[in-house]
Amino acid sequence: MEYRNVLTTCVYCGTGCGLYLEVLDGQVVGVLPAKTHPVSEGKLCIKGWNAHAFIHHQDRLTKPLIRGNGRLIEAGWDEALDLVAERLTAIKEKDGPDAIGVLSSAKATNEENYLLQKFTRAVLGTNNIDHCARL
Amino acid sequence: MYEPRIIGYLCTYCSYPGADLAGISRIKYPPNIDIIRVLCSGRVSPELILRTFREGADGVLVGGCHFGDCHFINGNHRTAKRIPILKKILEYAGIEPQRLRLEWISASEGERFAEVVEEFTETIRGLPPIREVLG
Amino acid sequence: MKRLEPLKKVVAEALGELDGVLALRNAWGGVAPHLFCREGELDGLALWPKYPLPRTLQLIQKAHPESRLGIVARGCEERGLIEMAKRNQIDLEGIRVIGLACTAEEARICPCPKPYPSILTHMVIGERIEPVADELVEEFLAKSSEERLEFWKRQFSKCIKCYACRTACPQCFCPECTLEDALWVEIGRIPPPFPSFHLVRAMHTVGKCVGCRECELSCPADIPLATLYALIRREVEEMFGYETGGDLEAQPPLVLPMELES
Repeated sequence: MEYRNVLTTCVYCGTGCGLYLEVLDGQVVGVLPAKTHPVSEGKLCIKGWNAHAFIHHQDRLTKPLIRGNGRLIEAGWDEALDLVAERLTAIKEKDGPDAIGVLSSAKATNEENYLLQKFTRAVLGTNNIDHCARL
Repeated sequence: MYEPRIIGYLCTYCSYPGADLAGISRIKYPPNIDIIRVLCSGRVSPELILRTFREGADGVLVGGCHFGDCHFINGNHRTAKRIPILKKILEYAGIEPQRLRLEWISASEGERFAEVVEEFTETIRGLPPIREVLG
Repeated sequence: MKRLEPLKKVVAEALGELDGVLALRNAWGGVAPHLFCREGELDGLALWPKYPLPRTLQLIQKAHPESRLGIVARGCEERGLIEMAKRNQIDLEGIRVIGLACTAEEARICPCPKPYPSILTHMVIGERIEPVADELVEEFLAKSSEERLEFWKRQFSKCIKCYACRTACPQCFCPECTLEDALWVEIGRIPPPFPSFHLVRAMHTVGKCVGCRECELSCPADIPLATLYALIRREVEEMFGYETGGDLEAQPPLVLPMELES
């Protein structure tokens, strides 16, 4: 039997409110505000209070899926990445780099987003990168 | 000329037949009241009353059975406690508590029903329209 | 500091007989609730700021119904546990309450009717002090009807409908919350239309609110909710003679048929 709180930052917007994820026996079960946090001062908006909801959600993707015969079939990482590299290269050669667009997420870390835009601009050769919060 | 709009929630087994009796006996009462029949006065919840005010009712009348007569044994006991405390809450919020009235009316009290409606309409006429209060 | 060391001793002793004690812990540069299971963890025991511990205790007890748990409870937390027990939300049989009294400074920032527990436990760490009156309540009672309306209209117009007041409240346990019902509180309107959201919430605290102030502490818009609920609590005492959280045997007024009232 184990219950503890782990301090983290809310993934949803740019404010960066501090919150605690309540962990009961290894599962994240809820959220508590961080009362001494200099940014959030113990308050959270509705997204912050539900920031834990997606972690153990049944609809969350856990394996790569490849579409075949109109259905999504589970695949391995190597198979999926090989397919992506092959197809992106083919599209870049045939229609040019600007035929490709990249969509990122505010839930990803700054480092992951930096990597993605570097990949888009330096490797794919296009400026077409944006993120979900701009939709 | 300001004509107040009053909504009356009357219970099926006592106050609604009471109002019906007033109608059959051709006893006149002001037309400002619109009657909604509910199964028991205990069904009238605070959220219902507040939504009624928000929709434009200047006054809300809740009619129930006398103690001991309730078809559902103690539904009217719940109403007897709920309405006074809701009136106090309205008072603390700055909304006139006279807008909400609770009356015990039996099926044979047609004349009394007409009297209550007459009195209540006059009280509400003396108050500002609800739109001015709630905005 | 004179409460911390005696408290550590008492908790360490309790751990000998219990599976865990719920209290506050210094971690990650802040303070959060923690279930202490080993004496070694007690170095991180903390006292302030307080959190809605009864809710967390209920969470742990539901997952482990047979466990013997302890909780370091202030006056408000004890009252919260009493009201939860009356509504079958928590089983007090398997719980040992270790009392903690609030200091004068804590009671000043967080005024309540009784800043120390006295019913579920007789062992209280810290000095029992006189309750501090909430000045805002007195100030509010002096206002006229128009001033009150204007005051609450202004306050409730700041509401961002974050549901923090409802989520943080130790007494709010309904799986289907009325405030989430689109019939009474329309979806997509910010601030929520006056006065439905807040007066429905105020009505639902009748017989339940113990004055722990977690609602006001977690409101991002700084709406003085605890003051409104304190005013209502006074009315409940006057109208029904019911002191919320004060008596384990007294049944909540709104659910009781009148002939059963003594």
